[in-house]
Amino acid sequence: MNEILGIILATVVCWLNFILIDTYFGLPEQPGVKGAEIIGKSIEKRGGDLAGGFFQGNILCSPDASAGTLMASIAVMLLGFNGGILATFFIYIGNRLCADPGYAGTIGAISTTIIITILSFIGFTPIMFVVGMVIAITTIQGIYHPYSTKLLGKIAKRLGRYPKL
Amino acid sequence: MIGDWTIILSYLISIIVSFVVALIIKLPLTGEKPIRFSWVNSATFPTPIIAIGLLALCFSINFYWIMNGLALAIIFGVISPFIVKYLFDYIFPEPPVLDELSKESD
Repeated sequence: MNEILGIILATVVCWLNFILIDTYFGLPEQPGVKGAEIIGKSIEKRGGDLAGGFFQGNILCSPDASAGTLMASIAVMLLGFNGGILATFFIYIGNRLCADPGYAGTIGAISTTIIITILSFIGFTPIMFVVGMVIAITTIQGIYHPYSTKLLGKIAKRLGRYPKL
Repeated sequence: MIGDWTIILSYLISIIVSFVVALIIKLPLTGEKPIRFSWVNSATFPTPIIAIGLLALCFSINFYWIMNGLALAIIFGVISPFIVKYLFDYIFPEPPVLDELSKESD
């Protein structure tokens, strides 16, 4: 498969994978730790959305599906399918160390491992997912917080995960 | 060289064995609702994650032992519920509550 096309498609897959899993497991709903609350409120003050702010705070403060997707992609690249499962285990340990129950991170890592394994049959390589995930996380965390958090807030509302404050 | 299907089968066996043993030693089936915020260790989560994680650790360093890794799958499937039930709080202690910490610092 053409490398550029593969990276674009992998970016879309990674973006959907981590946003949907993180939102479903309630990241925009409440800040897991104090730091996430401070980040959420600060982003809201700068014109963003509170739910999206909590989402951003939570993915910064513990390894959720975003870190799970990236770690699993790297581990599959290095060690194959076993590496993906190993990454899931390490993500779970990391979650517990960050005072997080660990559902979003582990399920994100497992789903990425399975998706990469299945898509490798039609020509995708794990490195495309590593690059794709870096691009996907940049669109959320690295460009302009007010717009990205508003989008995250809309997705949270659609999935019924908006904070009830 | 161990085939891909044997490896996938080993993971499935490990998940099933850990789930069944966890129910036998009376771990709850799932956490309390809403499950996405539950801290209860159950047969569904994280018991199978620990079983397949330990198995992946062995497979990653090409250690398959006997029966192409199936024996390891069963062993980790049996011990992981016991780790979750008896050793878990020792490995991952409960996170301190913020109010208690601020009282201690006062």
